[in-house]
Amino acid sequence: MIRIIKSWSKRVLNSLFGRKDNIKLGFYGPPNAGKTSLANIICKDWTGEEIGSVSDVPHETRSVQVKEKVEIEHKGKKLTFKIADTPGIATKIDYEDFLKFKMKKKAAKKRAKEATQGIIESIKWLDDMDAIIVVLDATENPYSQVNITVVGNIAAKEKPVLIIANKIDLKKANVKTIEAAFPEYEVVGISAKKKKNIDDFYEALFRLSKKV
Amino acid sequence: MPHQCVHCSKVYEDGSDAVLKGCKDCGSRFFFYLSHEKLEKIRSSGKERLNLTSAEKKQIEEDVRDIVGVEEEDAPIVMDFESVKVIKPGKYLLDIGNLFNKERPLVYKLEDGKYIVDLIGSMQRGKKGV
Repeated sequence: MIRIIKSWSKRVLNSLFGRKDNIKLGFYGPPNAGKTSLANIICKDWTGEEIGSVSDVPHETRSVQVKEKVEIEHKGKKLTFKIADTPGIATKIDYEDFLKFKMKKKAAKKRAKEATQGIIESIKWLDDMDAIIVVLDATENPYSQVNITVVGNIAAKEKPVLIIANKIDLKKANVKTIEAAFPEYEVVGISAKKKKNIDDFYEALFRLSKKV
Repeated sequence: MPHQCVHCSKVYEDGSDAVLKGCKDCGSRFFFYLSHEKLEKIRSSGKERLNLTSAEKKQIEEDVRDIVGVEEEDAPIVMDFESVKVIKPGKYLLDIGNLFNKERPLVYKLEDGKYIVDLIGSMQRGKKGV
């Protein structure tokens, strides 16, 4: 009975303050930036299960992976998310790039086809998302066509955006360059691999959720 | 709008029913969309043939059907180089700005078992934001 009253009052309060409870959170960005690594940390922390596999070979995630009802608690506040980890968006996919990773030609061509399919799928899913986490590799030049197009198009759809500058554990990483490239967005530097600054990420995620 | 058959390179100058019924020369239902400028270029140079082997064309058609998720072999497909360009099997160029700006679906169902895959840039709207 108490549970029913609690759930009812939560729904009433949420509707009063216009807050959505099951926030559809999409992870977008170029391949190998660490979208799945970060999504895995969240899913593992709060559901005990990972969302997808991670690899050094680009385009490891080739279809949208979804984790429903991920309840995150941060500083006494709770929010529920539907997490969608999307395939990396690229403008060029060439199977020969995969051959360097000792992949057979046939498998590489299949991967290229699936990656292309994945990009179209990622873009289609965008409309359904409430908020977007754009994960960028902080060791790479942020002014790439993919980054500018992805961030620009998400902004055009008026979705709240948080930019994650991943791989800050690496010497080449430069969060400031990313901040300079996207001055109108909050940028949080993290290392998904070393689990560095994850608390700052959660803090920013809760701030982002208020904009939904 | 002009189309070119991927398999035999025959050019159709307008919205010919060949797209739905199949190429009048080879029966294929796999076409490239041609812009009017491209059509003029082809006409003036006299070079109509595509620089792909028939095995590559077959593979590209199979891949494109897979990518857009159309299983029916006789469903017509019109490819547009402005959104997804297949250079060779396993080599793709994507215009993500164009893909982001499409409000219409990629696959239209015409009737049972008949679909048309729209990767056509002619409907490209004014680009926003970028």
